[in-house]
Amino acid sequence: MIGEISIELPMDGKISCRFYLDECVIYNQFSAETHLIGGVGAEIFNVISKKSITRNQLLNYIRNIFIVEMDCDLETHMDNLLQEYQDLGLLVVSMNYSA
Amino acid sequence: MKLAELPKNLIISHLKHGGLKLKIGAFNVCIYSPIDTVSEHLLVLYGDYDIVSDNDFIDFHTVVKSPSIIRRYFRPQVNFSFDGYFPFKPLPYTQASAMFEWGLNWCIANHSHQYLVIHAAVVERNGKAFIFPGNPGSGKSTLCAALVCNGWRLLSDELTLVSVVDGLVYPAPRPISLKNKSIEVIRALSPDAVIGSVVNNTAKGAIGHVRPPTESVKLASVPAMPAKLIFPKFLDGSKTILATLSKSRALLKLVENCFNYNILGVNGFNCVSDLVNDSDCFNLEYSSLNETLLLLTDLSD
Repeated sequence: MIGEISIELPMDGKISCRFYLDECVIYNQFSAETHLIGGVGAEIFNVISKKSITRNQLLNYIRNIFIVEMDCDLETHMDNLLQEYQDLGLLVVSMNYSA
Repeated sequence: MKLAELPKNLIISHLKHGGLKLKIGAFNVCIYSPIDTVSEHLLVLYGDYDIVSDNDFIDFHTVVKSPSIIRRYFRPQVNFSFDGYFPFKPLPYTQASAMFEWGLNWCIANHSHQYLVIHAAVVERNGKAFIFPGNPGSGKSTLCAALVCNGWRLLSDELTLVSVVDGLVYPAPRPISLKNKSIEVIRALSPDAVIGSVVNNTAKGAIGHVRPPTESVKLASVPAMPAKLIFPKFLDGSKTILATLSKSRALLKLVENCFNYNILGVNGFNCVSDLVNDSDCFNLEYSSLNETLLLLTDLSD
């Protein structure tokens, strides 16, 4: 069994996203909160609003878009953002297993 | 029939017995008040409004009167009530007309969820609605009065009503509330403007109301297409600066100025987003009204 981390918007349709250039605004119907998200975070939602994606695919996608200085740990930054957004209920991170 | 076509004694009689029923934009309002300053306020500022027939549905039943007989003689006070509910503490009796306007604002802001209700002035020229959201002191009403005195159509100086169904801005033109120095500024800018009796020593200082133009009241059932979303800020001595605002930032700022965004839920979010998408968004810093009038008129051509 091989596990893969999958990232997607919650399936219940309670998250609404609007995209504006390099920023996005997200409305969470559960919390009734509105979030302004920029940079890497906006790109994460841009991708997952179209389809679910694995963590590694997302990391590669983000690496290709953002020119990152060598000393910047993009992987850690992305994982921190994913954790923060998951805590806010804006996305779902789950482990998928395949044989 | 317009209010101005009714004899004064009949208007006062309606106000004292049963209520005067006026059509104010999309709302039918019944006003009961035995207070002379309220009847004078309505006579001076609401002459162009249609009287509603007895058979029509009334959206807001309002009462402006003294809380008790004793209070008529000892430090007299006035109360505003809506359907028997008192949303505010009593105010000094001399502030009755201002209290009516504040009370009606409260009624509309809290009971009109067919609209996204924004704390904003809104005017229209050449079919383009310019929306000016802002907190008290931002200068939105002064700017609104100046534009209206220069031929722009008044939709509202305080509450912008955006339909959650079609995204259009629906008018509720009412007297424009000016505070303190703004009263003299507008008197000087437009000597023909009709300004009602000034109410002094309110919590906001001196308040004067500008009568809405007849044409704006006549077009009170005609909605307008949103075109510009401008966040004004009056800064004494500043240059006139109109700076483009990103749509994402404008959306967040607009949310802060909505009365019922949370009540509307996702419909509120969609309505705010669509409004921002349909509008060019700006921050405006100004001190010179004349400069700003020219700038905004150019923008509406």
